[in-house]
Amino acid sequence: MKKKIVSILLSVTMAGMLLAGCGSSAAPQAQAPAEGGDAPAAESAPADAAEADAAADAAADTGAAAGGDNTLTVWAWDQNFNIYSINEAAKIYQRENPDFKLEVEEVSWDDLQTKLGTILGAGNYDQLPDIMLMQDFAFRKYAMQYPDMFTDITNSGIDFSQFAAGKLSASTVDGKNLGIPFDNGAEIACYRSDLLEEAGYTVDDLTNISWTDFNRIGEDVLKKTGYSLFSTQAGSADIIMQMMQSAGASIWNDDGTPNIANNATLKTCMETYKMLFDSGVMATANSWDEYIATFTSGKTLGTINGCWILASVQSAEDQSGKWSMTNMPSLAGVNGATNYSNQGGSSWFITSNCKNVELASDFFAKTFAGSVELYETILPTAGALSTWTPAGDSDVYAQPSEFFGGQAIFKDITDYASKVPQWDMGVYYTEANTALATAVTNVVNGGNIDEELQTAEDTVNFDMGN
Amino acid sequence: MNSKRSGMGLNARRNFEGWLFLVPAVVLIVCMSLIPAVMAFVTSFTTGTGANTQWGGLSNYMRILKDKVFLQSIKNCFFYLIIQVPIMLVLALILASMLNNPKLKCKGILRTCIFLPCATSLVAYAIIFRTLFATDGLINLVLTSIGILNAPYNFLAHPLSAKIVIIIALIWRWTGYNMVFYLSGLQNIDYSVYEAARIDGASPFQIFTKITIPLLKPTILLTAIMSTNGTLQLFDESVNLTNGGPANASITMSHYIYNQTFQGVPKFGYTSAMSFLILFMVAVLAFIQMKVGDKRD
Repeated sequence: MKKKIVSILLSVTMAGMLLAGCGSSAAPQAQAPAEGGDAPAAESAPADAAEADAAADAAADTGAAAGGDNTLTVWAWDQNFNIYSINEAAKIYQRENPDFKLEVEEVSWDDLQTKLGTILGAGNYDQLPDIMLMQDFAFRKYAMQYPDMFTDITNSGIDFSQFAAGKLSASTVDGKNLGIPFDNGAEIACYRSDLLEEAGYTVDDLTNISWTDFNRIGEDVLKKTGYSLFSTQAGSADIIMQMMQSAGASIWNDDGTPNIANNATLKTCMETYKMLFDSGVMATANSWDEYIATFTSGKTLGTINGCWILASVQSAEDQSGKWSMTNMPSLAGVNGATNYSNQGGSSWFITSNCKNVELASDFFAKTFAGSVELYETILPTAGALSTWTPAGDSDVYAQPSEFFGGQAIFKDITDYASKVPQWDMGVYYTEANTALATAVTNVVNGGNIDEELQTAEDTVNFDMGN
Repeated sequence: MNSKRSGMGLNARRNFEGWLFLVPAVVLIVCMSLIPAVMAFVTSFTTGTGANTQWGGLSNYMRILKDKVFLQSIKNCFFYLIIQVPIMLVLALILASMLNNPKLKCKGILRTCIFLPCATSLVAYAIIFRTLFATDGLINLVLTSIGILNAPYNFLAHPLSAKIVIIIALIWRWTGYNMVFYLSGLQNIDYSVYEAARIDGASPFQIFTKITIPLLKPTILLTAIMSTNGTLQLFDESVNLTNGGPANASITMSHYIYNQTFQGVPKFGYTSAMSFLILFMVAVLAFIQMKVGDKRD
């Protein structure tokens, strides 16, 4: 009998807990979307402040609960790069505000997108962190779909005029500043100068050249050394996008419709890709780790990508001093073609769920938008190149890099960054990238470029709901 | 406590207790599966992106017919289904009847070895297969060093070989799982039936086709339905092994739905509609298999 009672009690509690669980998650779900904006933050801040002051000392050694008023939660994805950077920023900010704490959760970009998709789709805004990092190419998508997920920080005391104008476009909508620019993705080309020398070339031969000349030299290098010049990841059209941006040519019409099928510049990009693939000057890798391995463990003697790739290049410490860096090749026969482009880059955002917007914006105003020291710390170790102009004048930027044989690479990259053509990535950037990746894969396998571009345009049009 | 309750006969009380034990499971299933499924079904009739949605009737279901990538993913899934499931089930059946031999030594170890792939994480094994079949991976190394290939072959960059790699991976991962069902089914077949057959002079092949397979029919039906269901919902292999490539040649339906939901601009209505199409296909296939497999009536 006793056993029976116990088991009944157990099952009742289990059922009860379940129902409670469903209930508690359902309640805020109904509330959150109605509140929106920064209203909840403004409401809760003063109430919590008094409490937190009193509790701060007591909680200090227990690591302050996640809800503490001086604790901000952050989502970012790279331990050696952006997580490291914001933690360094927190250290600087803590000197003035010893109570301040950051709780950084490592969420890979793919997971972050999945999380955001579910949270926003369900209207469960209270699950958002206070601060999150977002890839620049994804910003417009979220800003268009869920404008109320961000806090407008235009008048928060952060001086946005000190950021590079081109970079700010990835965090502003209709003149409203929704985010704080973080890293720069200026396109660089890195080559092993020792291997180039074996083939009788120097980095200067690969500077300010066109893809056609690049291919000619590459074929010669391949014949003499057995190395390809660079690699790309199969199934991604990133390099096509980089080529397009280097010529300032968009894949979107002014009205937002795709401009793919009859885009002469895009056709040149596809032809260039096929030429590089067929000659073997460009190697392809099936996955990201394979891609990194192509240039760290010797299949290609170089890489062309956003400057954040430096962290991976420099991971091969035994190759120190053997590398050199220059700009990317330009499209041949295209009006407005340059040797400069951009890949990636991200910005920080204060979400509408932030409990203490004032604290968060003050944190950014005094670190990412106000501390030369921060950028001096994170530049040499993480290669996080600033888009905040005052940091560019720092001496650290002019310092020679031992890994690159004494070249002042950061000064060069800052110079490249200033020459990158303005470019509209559009709301449907991911869809276009996927469609072009399919097109380019079919083209190198013998498909007709015009037909494949038409298919890609149809796919993007379909995804846009037309 | 219960015994003092008046007006409840013995049977009624037993029934009541029985239902009570079902409550936790039922509550779980209703909260975690049924309600979300119904809500997703409602969502599948809305159109628009992100938070801006409106009622769209059947337009999402009509849209599926025009989606070339989704149609391609359906073809891919059926390719996997038609090639992989029969091979896997036959292999599992053969392995199970071999391991059921009472004279076999080290049965425990062998069974564990064959079942072990099932205990590995889907993502981990998919990544390991990707590494194995990479251009500079183990398979290429072996094939070139024994002279079958002259130069490394990029398995994951060609439409057919990419699909075959996925099929090989699936067979490795799931054969042991199905074998366990057959083994437990074989335990229920009385050994004297086999002895009698042997005394009558039946060959091992005859025993297999005339005794084992007919008696295992319910189990075979179960595994066939489960495998069909699983294959149509394939996700991890497509994402981690081939990333759907080259050019969508190996993308599965679930992978495409995931991409449409979480990678690009979210279209929850349309993706829910695609999910329900998968449900419909699984239901139809399971129904056919049950009609074909069940000869009792």
